[in-house]
Amino acid sequence: MASYYDIDDILVEEEIVSVIFQKAASGVGIDPSSETDFIEAGSKVELPFWLAHELQLRQAVSVNVPPCFNQKTRLEIQADCACVDLRSRCPYFYEFGCKIAPIVGDRTIGFLLLSAFKNRYKEVLTKAHTATIAVGSKFWTILTKEEINLYETAQSAMASFKKWRMGGARFQIASILGRKRKPTE
Amino acid sequence: MGSRSAEGEQVPLTDEYDALISTTDVELLKRAWRNEKAAPEILRFESDLIIRVREQIELMEETVEEKSTVGTDPLSVSLYQMDLDRTLFLLRSYLRIRIQKIEKYMFHIRKTEELWNRLSKDEKFFTERCTDDLKKHLEESVLSTLPENYQSYERQSVISEEVDMVPEPRLDTFVLCRSKEYLTGIQLEDGPVDDRSKLFEMEPDVLYFICYKSIKPLVESGKIDLL
Amino acid sequence: MSCSGGCHLMCSPVKILNMYGRKACQLVKEFASGEKGQLTPFNNDLFEQVVSECSQHHLELQSLIRKMQEEGLDVQTARNADHYGALIHLFSIVRNKRCLTAYVYNRAETVRNLLWKIGPVLPKEIEEKLNHWEEEYFKKHSAALKSYMSKALVDLTVDMVPPKDPYIQVRVLEDIREGIVLSDDKNPNFARHSMHFLKRTDAEKYISRGLMEELTG
Repeated sequence: MASYYDIDDILVEEEIVSVIFQKAASGVGIDPSSETDFIEAGSKVELPFWLAHELQLRQAVSVNVPPCFNQKTRLEIQADCACVDLRSRCPYFYEFGCKIAPIVGDRTIGFLLLSAFKNRYKEVLTKAHTATIAVGSKFWTILTKEEINLYETAQSAMASFKKWRMGGARFQIASILGRKRKPTE
Repeated sequence: MGSRSAEGEQVPLTDEYDALISTTDVELLKRAWRNEKAAPEILRFESDLIIRVREQIELMEETVEEKSTVGTDPLSVSLYQMDLDRTLFLLRSYLRIRIQKIEKYMFHIRKTEELWNRLSKDEKFFTERCTDDLKKHLEESVLSTLPENYQSYERQSVISEEVDMVPEPRLDTFVLCRSKEYLTGIQLEDGPVDDRSKLFEMEPDVLYFICYKSIKPLVESGKIDLL
Repeated sequence: MSCSGGCHLMCSPVKILNMYGRKACQLVKEFASGEKGQLTPFNNDLFEQVVSECSQHHLELQSLIRKMQEEGLDVQTARNADHYGALIHLFSIVRNKRCLTAYVYNRAETVRNLLWKIGPVLPKEIEEKLNHWEEEYFKKHSAALKSYMSKALVDLTVDMVPPKDPYIQVRVLEDIREGIVLSDDKNPNFARHSMHFLKRTDAEKYISRGLMEELTG
């Protein structure tokens, strides 16, 4: 696995999905309020993606389309994707979508992701660098992690470019030391 | 037949010849540096070039030393110094980029013959030490605390069919590149599978943004430069 | 948790199985919560809890396998409820392992970057965040890099930025009493607030550590 240690990849796989158990499983603790440690075939259970994926590969569960890709969200994206709060639907909207699509056998998710990304990139991310965005404005809260990463990469490239053009200190304190240094005795 | 410097000093022929050679070597170093910077995987170590560059640097250091003691004007000395600085920077950066790639993908490089063979002797020692240190670190802090079938640093569990814990560079990233000659017959590795039978062509001196995997062998053979 | 309308046979409430791997993921989230490049203190407590969950899962897995063997089933091929239960425990261990190793591995990567940014001597505020193994690893890696650089005859920890001018102006931010090594063997007084015209490659390290700042304009 090329991204075994990748933090984002690990976090994406923690997203909860809804599954239906095709086979029974015993000796498994559900939530603490449950009295039994047995999951019957046909039960609807919510699992983290990493578990749902492995069980689906062995035909133990079938996975339902997560709510963040449901009809309501699709309509909103079609209508005005630049304003849709994708982050609250799923912070890793795109990565999660890529992983879930083959598992639920929904071929339309791919198109949805591509179109959402293209439009949001055009509307939101390109404008972000030219317009002045007020701190704390709604802009930040609707971007997914992937979009924020892109934004930050572009930001740092812009900052380097400006520095190169306009001069200024080229050497800086290492970021791991934080902003303030306590004076040593 | 020498050339005349600003002060009217005669520069002997050998210096001029050397100056020509060193320019070519620095250009080669610059190219090797740019390729290494842009490529997602580690490239072949330019052993001969680096030996020559080191010799060059020694010569330049001697020249600067000599000129400053002899009392040459500071402007000329600083020109030689800047030349030296730039070459030193390229050398350091070239080696550093490689070392940092090794740090990032040490297990993968150690296990993959093709990549292992691209390292210099010193880099091989470094990689061995690195992998031993990190492996030991993982074993002592985590792996030894886990149940028996899960203690491998390469496989998630004993039922893993293959090595599945080793990070690798992504070869399907896109890179900016350019060719000096007209190239044909490039098979594109990305895009819909049915398109892959189409062969791509590159015109000389035109910039292209291509999937690295598609041009990997051409970078190795020196036909394509990365930017 | 209401059941979907229209199901007659088994209208069981939706169960949530999200405790497995939860703490492990918390550990990973903690690592990610630091500002870019910053380390949080090594969370020994949470780490130990995840390790002990792995042992717990392993015990449950083994007891399920034993049960199957006692019933005379072929563990390799039988596919009953015990088998799927055992699988769930196995995947949970694998997930916990991934989170634990990622925690250690990514911190180790941050620790290696420290070497490049600050050099082989760590300030106390950073040392406190590392656990014993991490300090050991840092020392070993410093030694490995040092050994390579001495063989290659080049110091790779300087010259991190392309050269513009060979000399730059700096102001000293804190008294630097000892350990000053300049490449031209001069030995100026590095008292706080003093300003100097230093070789770029000499000044780089001090600036990176916050002991000096570059003056421009």
